[in-house]
Amino acid sequence: MKPKAEHTICGYRLLLVVSVFMLAITSAFSQAGISEKGQGTLLIRFINTANGKPVVLTDSLYSNFFGEKYSISKLKYYISHIAVTTGNGKTNTWNDSYLVDENAGETSILINTDAGRYHTIGFLLGVDSARNCSGAQDGALDPMKGMFWTWNSGYIMFKLEGYSTASTADLQRIEHHIGGYKGADNVTTYISLDVKQPQSLVINPGETTELLLEMNLDNYWHDKNDIRIAELPMCMVTGEPALKVAGNFPGLFSIKEIHKAN
Amino acid sequence: MVLLLLTGSSTDEGYGVYAPTPLELKIPPGWPKPASDIYANNKLTEQGFRLGKRLFYDGKLSRDGEVSCASCHQQFAAFATFDHDLSHGVNNTLSTRNAPGLFNLAWKPYMHWDGGINHIEVQPLSPLTAPNEMGETLENVINKLKADTSYKRMFKAAFGDATINSQRMLKAIAQFTGTLISANSKYDKVKRGEETFTPFEEKGYMVFKSKCAGCHPEPFFTDFSFRNNGLSLNRFNDIGRQKITRKSSDSLKFMVPSLRNAQRTFPYMHDGRIYSIPQVIEHYRSGIATEQPTLDSSLRNRIQLTNLEKNQLVYFIYTLTDSSFTRDLRYTPDGSNNVINPGFDKH
Repeated sequence: MKPKAEHTICGYRLLLVVSVFMLAITSAFSQAGISEKGQGTLLIRFINTANGKPVVLTDSLYSNFFGEKYSISKLKYYISHIAVTTGNGKTNTWNDSYLVDENAGETSILINTDAGRYHTIGFLLGVDSARNCSGAQDGALDPMKGMFWTWNSGYIMFKLEGYSTASTADLQRIEHHIGGYKGADNVTTYISLDVKQPQSLVINPGETTELLLEMNLDNYWHDKNDIRIAELPMCMVTGEPALKVAGNFPGLFSIKEIHKAN
Repeated sequence: MVLLLLTGSSTDEGYGVYAPTPLELKIPPGWPKPASDIYANNKLTEQGFRLGKRLFYDGKLSRDGEVSCASCHQQFAAFATFDHDLSHGVNNTLSTRNAPGLFNLAWKPYMHWDGGINHIEVQPLSPLTAPNEMGETLENVINKLKADTSYKRMFKAAFGDATINSQRMLKAIAQFTGTLISANSKYDKVKRGEETFTPFEEKGYMVFKSKCAGCHPEPFFTDFSFRNNGLSLNRFNDIGRQKITRKSSDSLKFMVPSLRNAQRTFPYMHDGRIYSIPQVIEHYRSGIATEQPTLDSSLRNRIQLTNLEKNQLVYFIYTLTDSSFTRDLRYTPDGSNNVINPGFDKH
């Protein structure tokens, strides 16, 4: 056992030396205004959780802060304008929109980025106003995804459907279609997460770094605002109730893990 | 390698070379440019227009295969529904609003009576999926189009490859609907110096300018604003613009419709409750519910008109009928030389 431990420590030392060396190079490049050479890949994987466990659609029963039991049948939301920023403020931004779709099993986003050490990652939860009002879109924004309102143009930014014994709606359903992009009705929320501690987000050239992002539904019901299913089983329009739900958006996401993907 | 080269070529997928014929939105003389260019991200081409037209006339877009866009937007009615207060949908359903005429849409900032639709391209999503209109899912529509080889050919001709998706379908439909321009009525010919009004029409024009043009200004004969014109709340509790903005100050407001082709687009109002043009004018003269808090301020005292002025006004409105538009073969289904839709007497 002991030799093995020694070996590991040596390994760490070597890594440390290499890291310091690389940091020196990095800062030298940065000071000279030259970006890190090469491109790496960032794989962002969203893990939707409730009650501390990954969400299982339909078959699992969850309980919110108020003790209201519920199941989830649909869970989808848009992520746009992903940006990563280095310690000295250099930012890489991607303007695309992605649909995190638990129903379709599409919960990962793969982006190529400059290699480097990033201190923050940010994204818009939702779809920006330009893409809400400039006609038919494709890809993740295809209205076929069921995330576009046909009677009052605009995207549903966050969709949560399910059932709850606390629901007073038809068939005890929950239908939260949270949307609104205009002025005071805007529910899109910019989420910025610190990735300095405990681990940095390091993208090495030619390698893939996986970032696990938890979206915790417990905070959907109870964070800045209290959202009781009994009071709001249905939310299908823009305005006050949707804004109240969106008030909890900033607390939904946290970084769970960063590691090199194989 | 040879295969790769073939598939990599942008010129041929078995349907010939991609060589679209450019089209342009012809702005009638004296008209302003549209406030925003609906074709900024949708290059107008003859092939796109023809595809849009075919989609517009194709019942395949509905659940039962019977209801097309043209079922409720008939050319001989200036693309409104002729003689129907409300339009029919699949399975003998009825909609809750009167289908408006479709023309000069490139200048229309919002679609629907309540302005809920913010771009011409996304408008068809509403009738396509509404259970009391075409009642179909977008997914089924696209699958049906994909199963049709002739559509593959037309999508390729319009967009460069045979990919069929909702974005392309919606852009093609917008190429057809957005270029439906009606600007050749007697009124337009008078304005261009090609014809003259009769004295009675001329008097009607004067009445129009002093009593109606506030909300129905030339050349569109609408200012595209939302106003409450004093109609009572209908049996569908249709609150109009308030449904979109949620402001009580928008209660019972609907978009001012164009008076162009009004002779063809009867019945009138958002729910088709008024059957004739004289009855519409009578509403403004004596029928307005003046107690409504959101009633348009210009209608507080109703519109004072003598019987003579009322008749003059009717005759002026008739000069806004553009039969070269309702008979334009460019807008009729390809392969047809007769604009009288066989569905004319169907209902």
